[in-house]
Amino acid sequence: MRPLSPHTIVISPIGDFTPELLDRISEEIKRIYAFTTDIRPLLGDIEFAFHPNRKQYHSTPILDELARRAPAEAIKVLALVQVDLFIPILTHVYGEAQLGGKACMVSTIRLNEGHHSLNTQEPFLSRIIKEAIHELGHTFKLRHCREHTCLMHYCRNEGDVDRKSDQLCRYCKVLLEDDIKRLEGKQV
Amino acid sequence: MSNIKILIVDDELIMRESLAGWLERDGHAVQTAASGEEALEKIEEIHFDILLVDIKMEGISGLDVLRKVKESDPDAEVVMITAYGSIPSAIEAMKDGAFDYMLKPFDPNELGVLIEKIVQHQEQARENIYLKEQYKDRTRFESMIGQSKPMQEIFDLICDVAPMDSTVLITGETGTGKGLAAKAIHTNSSRRNGPFVTVNCGAIPEHLMESELFGYQKGAFTDAKETKKGRLELAHGGTLFLDEIGEISMRMQIDLLRVLEDRVFYRLGGTQPIEVDFRVIAATNRDLETAIKSGDFREDLFYRLNVISFIMPSLSQRKEDIPLLAEHFLYRFSQETNKPIDGISREAMDEMMIYDWPGNIRELENAIERAVVVGRQREVLPENLPIFCHEPAPAIRAHSLKDVEKTHIERVLTENQWNIARSAKILGIDRSTLYSKIKRYDIEKIT
Repeated sequence: MRPLSPHTIVISPIGDFTPELLDRISEEIKRIYAFTTDIRPLLGDIEFAFHPNRKQYHSTPILDELARRAPAEAIKVLALVQVDLFIPILTHVYGEAQLGGKACMVSTIRLNEGHHSLNTQEPFLSRIIKEAIHELGHTFKLRHCREHTCLMHYCRNEGDVDRKSDQLCRYCKVLLEDDIKRLEGKQV
Repeated sequence: MSNIKILIVDDELIMRESLAGWLERDGHAVQTAASGEEALEKIEEIHFDILLVDIKMEGISGLDVLRKVKESDPDAEVVMITAYGSIPSAIEAMKDGAFDYMLKPFDPNELGVLIEKIVQHQEQARENIYLKEQYKDRTRFESMIGQSKPMQEIFDLICDVAPMDSTVLITGETGTGKGLAAKAIHTNSSRRNGPFVTVNCGAIPEHLMESELFGYQKGAFTDAKETKKGRLELAHGGTLFLDEIGEISMRMQIDLLRVLEDRVFYRLGGTQPIEVDFRVIAATNRDLETAIKSGDFREDLFYRLNVISFIMPSLSQRKEDIPLLAEHFLYRFSQETNKPIDGISREAMDEMMIYDWPGNIRELENAIERAVVVGRQREVLPENLPIFCHEPAPAIRAHSLKDVEKTHIERVLTENQWNIARSAKILGIDRSTLYSKIKRYDIEKIT
């Protein structure tokens, strides 16, 4: 496998995703986070996280495995899945992230009204991109934002996702810059 | 909604960690405890705003944690986490003061909504405490004056009632300050920036009441040259104060009930329904329950109005407030009249403390005003007070109190050429009350 340039955000699809979708996510990550990106599957099988009773996948062990497999040069890893995710205390999650950690992931299922097939039409495409940027934000220590239009706003449903913009609010931008400076070893 | 301190108490590591991770991403400061014992140690050291406590745990149970928390830190709100099998325990927990319970696993949206609800509840409780503290040991609350226990209780009650949006019915004798209490509720409510619109049901003649309340459309009747908004419409977003509600006609009671139920009405001559959102505060000096029995007041309207009710104490029930009130009125009237009267003699004050003040604060206010006008000394003397300018008592005959009142009102009106303002002042009641008494006793002007 080709080497990564330092400070790369790895986009790791799990399952079939169209190159167009992955390219759009890649562009948006570059626009918001200003890091280079690399599309690289790190994990082929996630059955270890499947919960037979709930018929869902437990997102936390998947994140742990992704973080473990991430190349040393990868500053963050974003995984995309087409399965329904959960954490034990909650019925479902759109995605999960290690707050201030390395890995995060987004499920496309609940963003497409529960359909398993991948839909790359609007508004579905924008929803995936927004939630991917959102989950990555958590790995940069960003928390949920009360500003409804901010990408870091927590959305209760697809409508909320559609209503929020494709930008971070000015507060989240400052906090993101702080964390990037910290990661790059600069004085904040 | 940041900086909320949450303690998760669950003996299952995976539950603690998954919930903590979720809530941390929401911006909350989260700590966890693996047992009831550990939770109790933590609450000894730190105040948590919210505790999410699993009911079933080895050792100290979730219910025990709840009880201890409610003892040591009653401001903390506890949400019980339960599985299907433990619902009866969760219900028991609600009786012991738990805010709510959630079934595992939770819908993430419901969790978010619940946390928001608790935070709002706590903010409101803090605001209430602030208001109470602010007015504690104070002798004034908004425009109301009083250091007596009954008035301090009224101030506390207003603080509690104001943030709710419920209808309030204020009863009490004439002149006890029902209108001031209504205004204080409005000023301390979330509608404070909206209008406070008073409808004096006793002072508006019945034939004008409908247009006053509902407004009218241009051309609705001969004199309707322009469209006019009624008081109901003007009160939108604020508070509608229905003063002397006991005097409202049966027909208007029906109309009013419909508006209070539907919050929709039509202007006279109008075809467009107008939706309104206001809080209703009503006041009366009448015993509405007696009025219901006699068929003068609709029972359904009474129950619609009587959601929260309180009675304003009469002045004779709060005599310790008389010096404070008298000094307040003395200062006001001496300023207004530019007369250098700066005190009340001990004898005058003693007399005022003995007197029963049937006209309550309004009578006291009028008495002080008169004393300032007629006074020639630097202080108010007993002889300046109208209440002590006794006339010889008429021979006692077998009259009812109503007859005496009617006769007295007739006499005062006749002596003052039916000048309502002047007569009301002499009688120690306000004009609307005088109008309602004229109506009730069927007093007619003899020309």
